[in-house]
Amino acid sequence: MNAIDPRMHQALDGELDWDAVPAELRRTVARLTAAAELLAAPPPGLVPSVERRVMAEIRRPAPSRARLLMRWFVTPRAIIFRVRPAWSLAFAVVAAAVTLFTVGDQGPELAEHEGIAQFVGRFPEAQSVHVVGTFNDWRPGSIALKDQDHDGVWRATVVLPAGTYEYMFVVDGERWVPDHLAERLVADDFGRENSIVIVRPARR
Amino acid sequence: MRLGVALALAGCLALPLAAQSVRGRLEGRIPSAAIPAVDSLIQLAAQQGLPTEPLVQKALEGGAKQVAAARIVAAVQLSLGQLRDARDLLVRAGDKPPVLPAELTTVAWALRRGLPTPVIERVVAALGRPPRAAAMHAVADLVAHQFDPDSAADLIIEAVQQGVLRERLLDVSTAALHQVQRGHTQAEALAIVRRQLPNLPAPSKPTRGNVAGARRPATPAP
Repeated sequence: MNAIDPRMHQALDGELDWDAVPAELRRTVARLTAAAELLAAPPPGLVPSVERRVMAEIRRPAPSRARLLMRWFVTPRAIIFRVRPAWSLAFAVVAAAVTLFTVGDQGPELAEHEGIAQFVGRFPEAQSVHVVGTFNDWRPGSIALKDQDHDGVWRATVVLPAGTYEYMFVVDGERWVPDHLAERLVADDFGRENSIVIVRPARR
Repeated sequence: MRLGVALALAGCLALPLAAQSVRGRLEGRIPSAAIPAVDSLIQLAAQQGLPTEPLVQKALEGGAKQVAAARIVAAVQLSLGQLRDARDLLVRAGDKPPVLPAELTTVAWALRRGLPTPVIERVVAALGRPPRAAAMHAVADLVAHQFDPDSAADLIIEAVQQGVLRERLLDVSTAALHQVQRGHTQAEALAIVRRQLPNLPAPSKPTRGNVAGARRPATPAP
């Protein structure tokens, strides 16, 4: 490696006047000075320097909490589940039990030719009310009405095959009463009247 | 030939078996004094091709209501007569024997509900093929609310002619009854519903809450 003439250092550092630079070094000093000026000049297109960009980032105000939250929500993340088989089985059992309980609460599944008959009667003093008719062979005690609100209004909802039925209420096991809310009545040939209910298929 | 003999034998065996099963249903449910007479009436109905279930039900009803044996027999006899009348009416109106049991009970009901025989015959003839239960109940519902029987039958027959489905004929009578509840006369109600045909308000369907609480009767329905 060749050592640089110390006078060239002095000339480039401005410590030696141009006139004092020997003639054989002047050309080299002039080239080095031009190269130094070229390197010091900013590049075309005004691209900010790394330093300026870093400083601009540091000076930018911190993002708000809402923006941070939004960024957290929209950023994709990998989620890892570690499952213990025993807990999985327990969860499956609980899910099945909840499903079965819910399905059972929705009542019976109606067949194509079945419908719903609602029986409602107001018997404020009654201890028990049953509905009997051609749908249960006139067998007292098989379909009980309930007074859940204790307001004297007794109700029962029954699934029956679609068709026409005659019926009566039996109050306290001995008093036979027609359904006064029924739209249809017919003589029972025993001196009283039966109510008529027409059950229409629920699936039409 | 062999098949015919087998069928005849099966028929001979079926009647006593059916009679036994009917006796089984009646025993303990009606006074024992009434059983022989009721049983013979039921067998008579079966021999004449009439449905026996309405007679069994009438006897069971009498037993449940603790009616005397003689009155139970009389009521069953009356029911048998109504079924015969219903069959005669259906045949007169154009049905070919053997008449369907469901149609017989429908017409018997219509007679018991007070529909005049000529009106029933008109409805049967106008509808032609079964089922006619909904039509008959629709006319009977209107007559029970002081509608003129002929006009009520006209409305239901017109609804069928305009394409209203038979299972929706009860909605026709219900629509007319709603018009009366709104203050119209029976004649006005019929006219209003006739103008609306074949459009009808949608029938109410059972709600989920109703179905949830529903249960089937312990005894199988007939």
